[in-house]
Order: sequence, then structure tokens, then C-alpha cells
Amino acid sequence: MDNSNPATKPVTSLPPPPRPPASPPIHAAQVVNTKPAPIVQVDNVTKSFGSVVAVSNVRFTVQPGVTALLGPNGAGKSTLFRMVCGLTAPSLGTVQVFGENARSHRGVRGRIGLAPQQDALLERFTAYEFVEFAATTHGVNEVATRVQQSLQKVDLNPQEPKRLGAYSKGMRQRVKLAAALVNDPDLLILDEPLTGLDPLQRNRMISLFHELGNSGKCLLVSSHVLDEVARIGSRVLVIAQGRLVASGDYRRLRELMDDRPRRIRVLADDARKLGSLLLERNLVDAVSVRANTALLDTLDVEGFGRNVAGVAAESGIRLREMVPTDDDLESVFRYLVER
Amino acid sequence: MNRANVFVPDARCIAIVHRLLLRSLVTKGRVVALLVVGILVGVVVAAVARANAADLSAIAFLELGVDLMTTLGLILVVPIVSLVFASAAFGDLREDATLVYLWLRPMNRWPIVVGAWLAVVTVSLPLILFPLTSAALIANVDVSLVSSTVLACVVGNLAYSAVFVLLGLLTKNAVSWGVGYVLIWEGLIAELGSFGERLAIRGYTRSIFSGITDVNLSTGNYSLLVAILVPAIVVVVALWLSSRRLSSLDVA
Repeated sequence: MDNSNPATKPVTSLPPPPRPPASPPIHAAQVVNTKPAPIVQVDNVTKSFGSVVAVSNVRFTVQPGVTALLGPNGAGKSTLFRMVCGLTAPSLGTVQVFGENARSHRGVRGRIGLAPQQDALLERFTAYEFVEFAATTHGVNEVATRVQQSLQKVDLNPQEPKRLGAYSKGMRQRVKLAAALVNDPDLLILDEPLTGLDPLQRNRMISLFHELGNSGKCLLVSSHVLDEVARIGSRVLVIAQGRLVASGDYRRLRELMDDRPRRIRVLADDARKLGSLLLERNLVDAVSVRANTALLDTLDVEGFGRNVAGVAAESGIRLREMVPTDDDLESVFRYLVER
Repeated sequence: MNRANVFVPDARCIAIVHRLLLRSLVTKGRVVALLVVGILVGVVVAAVARANAADLSAIAFLELGVDLMTTLGLILVVPIVSLVFASAAFGDLREDATLVYLWLRPMNRWPIVVGAWLAVVTVSLPLILFPLTSAALIANVDVSLVSSTVLACVVGNLAYSAVFVLLGLLTKNAVSWGVGYVLIWEGLIAELGSFGERLAIRGYTRSIFSGITDVNLSTGNYSLLVAILVPAIVVVVALWLSSRRLSSLDVA
């Protein structure tokens, strides 16, 4: 994954590549570009619906393997996926998949498997019929075998006679996944595929994503749950308010998120004294007190957590309540956007 | 990862879409409601014709039969039954967001549209032909009334279905727009003069009645060839426009 959009903040900070050893000069005709062409290339893409800008000037590329797209609900993830698949055209910029525009290139559409976010299925079909329909519309050979394999991959029984209308949310998600897999696509686009799955099924599906990614497939998987993304892929694109706000390795992203300033509300007998003590010991960076409540800003949330009880006990201050006020995902995204 | 592109052959695509839409279009509610409309109109046509049979000459009786069939049958049954199914062909898929399962496939657009149109005709034509042909037979006017009814219903159904498939791709309120078109354009404007009549499918289906029965109608007196050829052109143009529209559609 490469990101050179100046508006985006890459979280990777790689050291400069080592200088290659001296080698004999290569004739121009022998020069080979070793960097593989990206599977997905999104160039300065903007999508507006009337006056609403859903995606704004987004630029990134995606290579084979699993890439997670993280963002809160309404951030523009599904719109971005729809543009990658060609389901809607960008207002500005270009999207290329395998070097072509999926909207106009029939062959590219045959290499994509999409599990859309919306809970829309052909309700009168059984799971087998639905996946069989996906197989025939993809021109798959040996339909019956492929359908059986796809359903078994997502732990569904091909002989299940129930209509899809009677399926649970988790089963419907897995049917969508089986249909997306049936043509053995080179690019799999999975929009919130883990929603509605129980923990066991989540683990199974995440293992399946990694299995597919390791076999050379390109997977783009979206989620709005941070911990889910940690397990889905090490490469992450973070989108918030329609903008790509960060991209790169998940661990660096996590560190960045953990390093952000936190605000904690503390209810104590003597909040003013507690705030002063914490400031003196550099455990907080700012304090504001009102009655028995102190609002504390800290960059070292772990150090604060380890020491606050001790500081209070030493001074005979009774702690009644401690609540982080900005620990939700929205705050994390807001921080990344404003950073 | 450079594998050969796989495409679905056009004929296979038509068959797949036809089968899919047959399954989704045929609901008990739609079929029963439209069959009741057709039967009611058929009963009225047959009853009025039979009630006047004794008082009229053979020519006047035939004129009455043609008049009943071209007003009630061609204004109500043929376009309305076609409209309900044709607007639902892509309308239902767009509404429940399942169009993506057809759109994002290695298939050309025109076979998808043709498959949908054929499915609409497969479902709607029997619901039109059965009551109206039965009415023409029961009225016992003339054999030419039966044959003109059959031909006009087929031509009208094919043309209206193509137009309303296009309408279903152009707007999400295809039924409202379609009813407005049928009642205002086909029902009123087409009656006003030759220009309006030329732009209304009903002008040509009426001509089939006048061409076969030799009854002189106030409007719709094109030759039989023109009466079949123009709706055929309408079908081709509407399906071509539908393919273009499907290609440029924003799919949810």
C-alpha cells in the first residue's frame, strides 16, 4: 500500500532503504520494474451527492494481501468501495482496478468479489441457489462443486432447505461471503463482513481472510471496530469524514492512537488538591476543577492510571469516580482528523 | 494474478436474467389483482356486445366490438398489466438493493435488459391475452375481432413492456409516471389528432384492429405493416436506451 497524498498522514516512518551494493551497469532494455502494479489505484477521488461530500480527495493504492479500511459509520467507506467496484462513478479523480475502470470494463468485474454492507439478498432463494446464481452470473465452470466449496468455507450447509428470508443476520453475512468467493476472485471487497457474527464465526472468517491474503489474493475489508481491524490486517487505511486520515501499519497506528492526549473526569473529596498534586508530579498536563470534579488532560494515560490512586491515598483524598471522557472511537477519529 | 477474463455469453445471460425475474416478478398478489382487472374488463366487453347483438346489423355489431376492445382493452388492460410487471423488473431489484448481484458481473448490459423484457412479456402476456381473447370469443362478434385482439395485444404488450422497463430504470416512481402516461398521453392526447396519435403506441394497436376488421376508426388508420413496424422500432429503441441507462446507473 502506498500513499503519497500530502493531505494524508502516513503513520509508517520507515528508515531510508539501504544503498544497494555496486553492480555491473544494466542495459536499458534489461531494466525491469520490480514493483508490482497495484491491484487498486485510487487517485484524488472525490464523490459528492448534491452538496454533501461523501469522499474527499482520497488517494491510495492497494497491493495483494489483506488491507483493512477503518472508519466510523458514515465516514465514506461504503462509497469508496462502491467506486472501486464501479457501482458509482467518482465526481472527481479516477479509480482503477487491475489497471482498468471496473465501471466500463467487463473483464475486471469478473475478477471482483463483493460482499456489500446492506443486508440485501434474494429472499426467496436458498443459500445454495443464491451462491449458484452468483456462480452462473460469473461464468464459473463446475458450478455445483464451486458452490459447495464456497458454502463450506463459510461453515454453511449446502443442503439447507431454508429460504434466505428465514436466515439470521450472521448466516446472511456468511451467504454474502460465500457468493463473493464463488468465482475465486483476485480482488475481494468485504464491507463490514463481521457484523452480526458471533465470536467463533468472527475468528473463522478472520482466519479465512488471512488464508486468502496469504494465497496472493487482494482483500479490502472494512470495519468501524478498532480491535477487529487489529486482527483483520496489518495494513490499514483510516477514513473519517470522507478523508483518508492515516494509512500504514496497524501497530504504528495503534501507537499513534494510544499517544493521543486523553481527558479524564475525576470525582474526589478534594478535587482541587488532587489536581495540584498530579500536576506537580507531571502525571497530568492540564487541570480544570469545578466543585468536586476535576477534568484532567494527560499524554501518559498509563502512568496516570498507575499512580493516581497512590497520590490520592498519600494525601488522604478519597477517589469516588474516574471516567475517561474521550475513549470512544469517534474521539480517536476526531483526533486523527484534527491532528 | 494475470488470468484470462471470464465472460458470460450473451444468450446465457438472457436466460439467467429471464429465470431470475420470472421468479421475482410472479407474486400471488400481482397475478390475482391483474387477472381480476382483465377478467372484469373482459366480462364488460362480452356482456355489452351480447346485450346489443340482436339490435345491430353485422357491421354495426363488429364496430361495437372493435370500439369496446380498443377503448377498454387497449387503454386499460394492455398498458396497465405491462406497466405493473415492467416497472417492477428493475424497480424491485433497485428497491431492495439486489441489483448489485446482476450489475457487478462480467456480462454485457443489453442481454440483461433483453432478459428482463422477455421475463415481463412471459408473465404479462397471458394475463392480457386470456381475458381479452376470451371476451372476444364469448361476444361471438366475428372471427376477425378475435384475431385482431390477439395481434394487437401481442404488439401492444411487447412495446409497452419495453417502454416501461426503461421507465423503471429512469425513475423510482415508475408506476405513478406510467399510469400518468397511459391515462394522459395514451388516453387523451392520442385522441386529439394525428400528431399525438403518431407518438402513442395505442395509435398503432388500434390500427391493427382497423387493418384486420376493416372497421374505420376515427384515429389509428395506419396500414398493418406500419402498425407492427413502428412498435417494433419502439421496442428496439427502448431496449437500447435501457442498456445505456443500466450502464450509467448508480447502483446501491
